[in-house]
Amino acid sequence: MIIYVATVVVIAIIISSLIAVFSKKLLSSIIAMGLVSLGVSGLFFFLQAPDVAITEAAIGAGLSTAIFVIALKRVKKGETKDEE
Amino acid sequence: MKNETPELFKKIFALSVIAVLIVGFFLAFTEMPKGWGVNVNGRVSRLYVLKNVRTATKSLDSGKFFAKGVKPLRTDVAYTPIEFKKTANLEDGAANVVTSIVVDYRGFDTLGEVTVLFLAVSGVMMLLFGKRKKERKKKTEPSLIMYVGTRIAFSVILLFGIYIFVHGHLTPGGGFPGGAVIASGILGLFLGRRGYSPNHMGLKAFESLSGIAFVIIGLIGFFSVHSFLANFLPTGIIGDLYSAGFIALIYIAVGMKVGSELAAVVDTMITDTEEEWS
Repeated sequence: MIIYVATVVVIAIIISSLIAVFSKKLLSSIIAMGLVSLGVSGLFFFLQAPDVAITEAAIGAGLSTAIFVIALKRVKKGETKDEE
Repeated sequence: MKNETPELFKKIFALSVIAVLIVGFFLAFTEMPKGWGVNVNGRVSRLYVLKNVRTATKSLDSGKFFAKGVKPLRTDVAYTPIEFKKTANLEDGAANVVTSIVVDYRGFDTLGEVTVLFLAVSGVMMLLFGKRKKERKKKTEPSLIMYVGTRIAFSVILLFGIYIFVHGHLTPGGGFPGGAVIASGILGLFLGRRGYSPNHMGLKAFESLSGIAFVIIGLIGFFSVHSFLANFLPTGIIGDLYSAGFIALIYIAVGMKVGSELAAVVDTMITDTEEEWS
C-alpha cells in the first residue's frame, strides 16, 4: 500500500520540479519548489525519519517559499525603479 | 552611486573576520591535547548500542528483529529490554537514538550548525538592514478577518513550536523545527497587518542570550565532566519530561535562537528599507 502512495508522491515531485525549471513565470517556479519540498518531506516520513520530515516541512515548504516570494517582490521593485 | 562599493566591502570584510574567528574557536577546541577540549572518542562508549538500542543483543532464536542470516552485534552480554517509563539511569536518557546522537554525542556539530545559521543571518542582515522607508498610502490594508485570524493562529503556532522543542528528547523534532515553526507564525503576523514591526532589541537579546546559554551549558560540562558539551545532569527514567539530562536544556536554547534568528530574517526581508549601499 505504502509503495503506491510513495510512487504517486515521487511522480508529483518529478512533475513539479519540471514545472519549476521550465515555467516562464518566476512565481509559479517558486510555488512548484514549495510543492517539491512538501513531497520530499512526505518521502522522509515514509522512510521513517519523522524529525527530518518535520524540519523539511517547516523550513523547505514553509519559510523558504515565503522568503523566495518576498525576495522576488523586492527584485521586481528594483526593476521598475530603473525603468523610471 | 560612487560611494557604494566601500560600504559593502567593509561589511563583507567584517563578516569574513567573524567567520575566521569562529573557525579558530572550533579548531582550538578540536585540536587541543588529549584530556582537554572535545574528547569525541572517549564519549562514545562501546556499551552505548547495548544499553540504548533494543535490537542490539536480541538473541538469534527469536528472529523477530533480524532478517535471515544477520547476526547480532554481540552475544556475550545478556539481553535486558528497555521499558518505557521503567528503565532508569541509561547512559543517555533520550527516547530517540537520533536525538541522543545529535545533541549529546555529537553536540559540538550542533553548535557548529547553529553557528553556520548565525553567520548566514548576519550576512543577510548586514546587506539588507537600513532605515525604514516611509509608507506609501496606496497600498491596500489586509482585511479584518486576516488581521484577527493571524493573531489567533499565532498564539496556537507559538504554543506548538514551544511544545516541539521542549519535548525534543521525547518525540521527533527538536530545536530547529520548533524555531522554524515559531518563525512562520511571526511571518503570519507580518502578513496580517501592514507596518507590523517586532521589537528589534528583544529579538537580538533573545538570540544572543540563548547562544551564550548553549556555550555556558557546554562549559559547565567542560569543568565538571572534563569534556566540552558533556552531560552533567542525571538521566532519569526514560520517557519522563524531566529526563535525558541536558538535552532538554540545549534544545530549548537552540529553539529560541533559531526562532529569533529566522524571525529577524523575515523582518529584514519584508520591511521596505533604504539600504545604505544602494
